[in-house]
Amino acid sequence: MSKNKEKGLYLSDRPPLTPVKAVLLTISYILLFFYVFIIVWPLAQIVFSSFNGNQGEYIHVGGAYQFSLKHFKYLFQETYFLNWVINTIVIAVATALLTLLFVSFTGYAYSRYRFKGRKASLMAIMLIQTIPAFVGIAAYYTMHSIISAVIPGFTRQMFLILIYAGGGIAGNTFILKGYIDSISSELDDAARIDGCGNLQVYRLIIMPIVRPMLAIIALWSFIGPFLDYLMPSILLSDPKQYTLATGLYTLITDVRNMHQPVFAAGGLLTAIPIIILFIALQKQLVSGLASGAVKG
Amino acid sequence: MKVQLVNIGKKYEGRENFTIRHIDLDIDDKDFCVILGPSGCGKSTLLRMIAGLTSITEGDLLFGGKRMNSVEPKDRDIAMVFQSYALYPHMTVYENMAFSLKMRKERKSVIHDRVLEAAELLQIKEYLYSKPSEISGGQRQRVALGRAMVRKAGVFLMDEPLSNLDAKLREHMRIELVRLHKSLDTTSIYVTHDQTEAMTMATKIVLLDKGKIQQVGPPTLFYEKPANLFVAGFIGSPTMNIFQGEIKDGLFHSTEEDFVVEPKAEDLALLKPFEGKKVAMGIRSERFIAGLADKNTVHVKVDVIEMLGKEQLLYCKFPNGKECVISEPGYFEYAVDEEHNFHFDVDGLHFFDAETTERIN
Repeated sequence: MSKNKEKGLYLSDRPPLTPVKAVLLTISYILLFFYVFIIVWPLAQIVFSSFNGNQGEYIHVGGAYQFSLKHFKYLFQETYFLNWVINTIVIAVATALLTLLFVSFTGYAYSRYRFKGRKASLMAIMLIQTIPAFVGIAAYYTMHSIISAVIPGFTRQMFLILIYAGGGIAGNTFILKGYIDSISSELDDAARIDGCGNLQVYRLIIMPIVRPMLAIIALWSFIGPFLDYLMPSILLSDPKQYTLATGLYTLITDVRNMHQPVFAAGGLLTAIPIIILFIALQKQLVSGLASGAVKG
Repeated sequence: MKVQLVNIGKKYEGRENFTIRHIDLDIDDKDFCVILGPSGCGKSTLLRMIAGLTSITEGDLLFGGKRMNSVEPKDRDIAMVFQSYALYPHMTVYENMAFSLKMRKERKSVIHDRVLEAAELLQIKEYLYSKPSEISGGQRQRVALGRAMVRKAGVFLMDEPLSNLDAKLREHMRIELVRLHKSLDTTSIYVTHDQTEAMTMATKIVLLDKGKIQQVGPPTLFYEKPANLFVAGFIGSPTMNIFQGEIKDGLFHSTEEDFVVEPKAEDLALLKPFEGKKVAMGIRSERFIAGLADKNTVHVKVDVIEMLGKEQLLYCKFPNGKECVISEPGYFEYAVDEEHNFHFDVDGLHFFDAETTERIN
């Protein structure tokens, strides 16, 4: 009896479904499933093909399936895949660290200090952002030849790091400035009275609070070099220096060297470092640390 | 520590006028000095200048005779409680309280003892290892106080620390703060816009308005002898009744309300120079005496009654529509729209020069 009564109770906060709403809801779900399919199906194909021994030079949908690791074997034995992985990770880590370091300073300075040209320079950064990095390709060549004339060990890869970091600093300065703006400046005052200098205020007070945002910035700057094909393909000439994107691309551009399933296998492995970083940063990415700083 | 402000002024960058200027103030050692004023009067600016968070444009700030103008906040021997508490959200209560000592590289055992001592006094021992986000507003307030206490600083600064608490807790914390001040044996400077806080806690009130000091003194002085019309209107609840009028033949003639008052003899002597001039007369609501007298009587109609229990506030109207507030004991029976006679207690009259707004008697 009481169980029946409980079943009859309507516990949702939303108003009950009318027939029209039920139809609309069904359509929404169909659209969502379709959308998910578009994303998941190619991903699934990559995973299946990379383990499918029956695949030859081209990826065929359908057909027999035979589990095999031969594409991975090919990847490690016949290509510079490990070089590409190391190159990419070095570039990505260096980019992330450089970006974090500079953005920490610029974001904090733009948020907390009032100086001449503050607004103008912020506007300038914003406007420069709208110009695609690729436009500067001629300038990059010139700059690289100038710098490498002064510093002989300055490689194309290092230059790539500078390009990625430079681009990241500008945009992320905005993001971090906005985030620091939302932290009460009374915290700075309190820290100053408690005995902190400017750098200590940032390092001991502000940085731990903005950690979620720093984690996001680090993640994005890290992913950037994994995704970018254009810059390294133009700047880097030696296949051993290639990043993952440019390196793997060589496997699907030329008929003489066509290995689509190997490309898929490489793509699958590429995701691993990013997934590891994401899991490592997951705790930091959870926001809401700042709550409770001020009244509540 | 004795705090002295000598002709201090502050002008913010990009502003045309000084926010506050010509501030001369002596705060004695162990004073509980409350800086009181309406919002935007420059009281927080003044406190921030004392703390060193805002630069001093002109004048001198002296701590115990030493000039402090260009000394860093951390070296001024001050502790400060902020309006928003400003607790470090990523640290536990214990770490929050220990932070300033840690920055001074105190020994761990000393830090531990001091934090526990403060926690004991403020009854926050149970929360020492909680994050600020996990405790209630009142507890955060205590942590903020504790963080300032462990410093054992010479000057204790507070910027509206009670404004985020609910009414009951605020009442309680007022008494706690006075007790704390006594036990700390320091000079406290407290900023607020709440006159009740000022009246109940201060040994010395500084009333600011429009960047100028209006009056300095103990709380009773503010209530009994306000220095000018602004002070008279600001201090006291309900607000003091002010009547405009002029002195004719030694009598105060109200301009609009049409009544005549004969001041007491001492006031009369002081009012002599104002014969024929415009004068404002103030009277607090409790200085009206119910009933008819042979002089100084007004006849008013009760418009609204606010019953507070021990007393009732009668918002009355003169025949010409002007209002005044009269408070009478709660057990007197009044009803709305009744007409009553009240007379002035001549000992409770305040006279102000209508032109300069300065006090006469």
